Amino acid sequence: MNTIDRAVRETFVELADTLVDDYDVIEFLGMLAPRVVDLLGITACGVALVDHHGTLSVVAASSEKTRLLELFQIQSSEGPSLDCYRTGLPVHEPDLPSAVERWPNFAPAARDAGFSAVHALPLRLRDTVIGTMNLFGSAADALEGEAVALAQAFADVATIGILHERTVREYELVAEQLQSALNSRILIEQAKGVLAERLSLSVDEAFAWLRDNARRHNRKLHDVAAAVVDGSVDLDGKIR
Amino acid sequence: MDERRVARVWAPIISFARAEDVAPSTRHALLACGQAMSADDVGLSVVQGRNLREPVLAIGDRCEELEELQLMLGQGPGMDAAATDRPVLVPDLSVSAAADRWPVFAPAAVAHGAYGMFAFPVAIGAARIGVLDVYRRRPGSLSAAELADGLAFADAVLLLALDERGGLTFGAGRLIDGELPERRADVHQAAGMVSVQLGVGVDEALARLRAYAYVNGQRLVDVAAAVLARHLRLDSHDDNDVTAGIGITDIMDAPPSVGYEETEGEK
Repeated sequence: MNTIDRAVRETFVELADTLVDDYDVIEFLGMLAPRVVDLLGITACGVALVDHHGTLSVVAASSEKTRLLELFQIQSSEGPSLDCYRTGLPVHEPDLPSAVERWPNFAPAARDAGFSAVHALPLRLRDTVIGTMNLFGSAADALEGEAVALAQAFADVATIGILHERTVREYELVAEQLQSALNSRILIEQAKGVLAERLSLSVDEAFAWLRDNARRHNRKLHDVAAAVVDGSVDLDGKIR
Repeated sequence: MDERRVARVWAPIISFARAEDVAPSTRHALLACGQAMSADDVGLSVVQGRNLREPVLAIGDRCEELEELQLMLGQGPGMDAAATDRPVLVPDLSVSAAADRWPVFAPAAVAHGAYGMFAFPVAIGAARIGVLDVYRRRPGSLSAAELADGLAFADAVLLLALDERGGLTFGAGRLIDGELPERRADVHQAAGMVSVQLGVGVDEALARLRAYAYVNGQRLVDVAAAVLARHLRLDSHDDNDVTAGIGITDIMDAPPSVGYEETEGEK
């Protein structure tokens, strides 16, 4: 077993350990995304879920940098994630500059953010696509063969993490859990805004504040965000 | 965005409003929701935080009573939807699982002829407005399409309620401009900032942002970008008139684009 194989195995074990009773789904995905980046040797990874309007929204990414998150925002109207969601099939574009006609807004924005290859993998529950995993990299990072299979395995793990259990039977549960994950993400965005204003931080710094606070006090990201928005956390005493 | 679902939700709301020759309101959304979901009664109760506070709208013969009952007993699917921020879908209130969960409400609702009850939070993140309760006299699960419709109607009620709170009538034309249920991160970040600026909840902040955008003929996303870039602050000027009470303290000199990282640190 080589180093990569071992790292992959360790990551799957670690992810499985996280999937205990009462975990925070956004945090779980936030842990998965940077692991995917490391193991696949790419630059960035994000997970987007689809709501009942058919709109894709990012819920977690390997970096919370605004510029990366905007690449997901664009994909509510065009881009590899949307194509992947619509067809249910993976989308591989190792040469973004040549895809300007296909994605007139997304391709230049991705290029400006420093990416030249992009992949989108479906998060599937049998016949239903609940979202996509988006991978970004440079031209040399184009995924082939086994790497694609591994990426899909990570996408499947993300699906399991979002839907909580392997044997989800009912679309009701799926809808409820998707709704809950998307809503949790919005709560985090609201909390970022509150922090940005109260502590004069950028929104990127505000996310780091939330994550650090959750880790330091061993609380769920969702709970910290809720406390920030409802004012039940003492911000002034906890400025970094 | 699935345009068909949006149209399926908004077209009947608008046509109910047109039939009365008035602007669309939450009541029209409840009427349209009842029709689309083959419901007999549809109610809207407002929340304070995660608690139901009071029923505000009831469509159907028994709805008002059922909504009052839920509130009085302090139990029921709507109560749970408010407390958990999740839809609570009960295909049959007469089964023992329902009676175990809501020992007084479930049998009482059945006695009122309500078997199916589907409660949808009217909320986005921490911006919580209320709960939409959809009742049916016959037991049975929602189809996948009905469930998606229920969620979409809850979003429509949210928008209409926010705008009613902001003192605006909802112009049907705004739909065409893309003022649809927002999942955009920047809008919610801006709402968080505005909630601090005005000392109000994020629900109120979202209402004010929408009102500001409408009154000034701007897109909500552009207003949000200006707030995030710290080009625009919403300040409360003592009176409650939202259209007059929000002032620009800084001028939007440059079109707010995506470059708000560059202005960080500036206050």
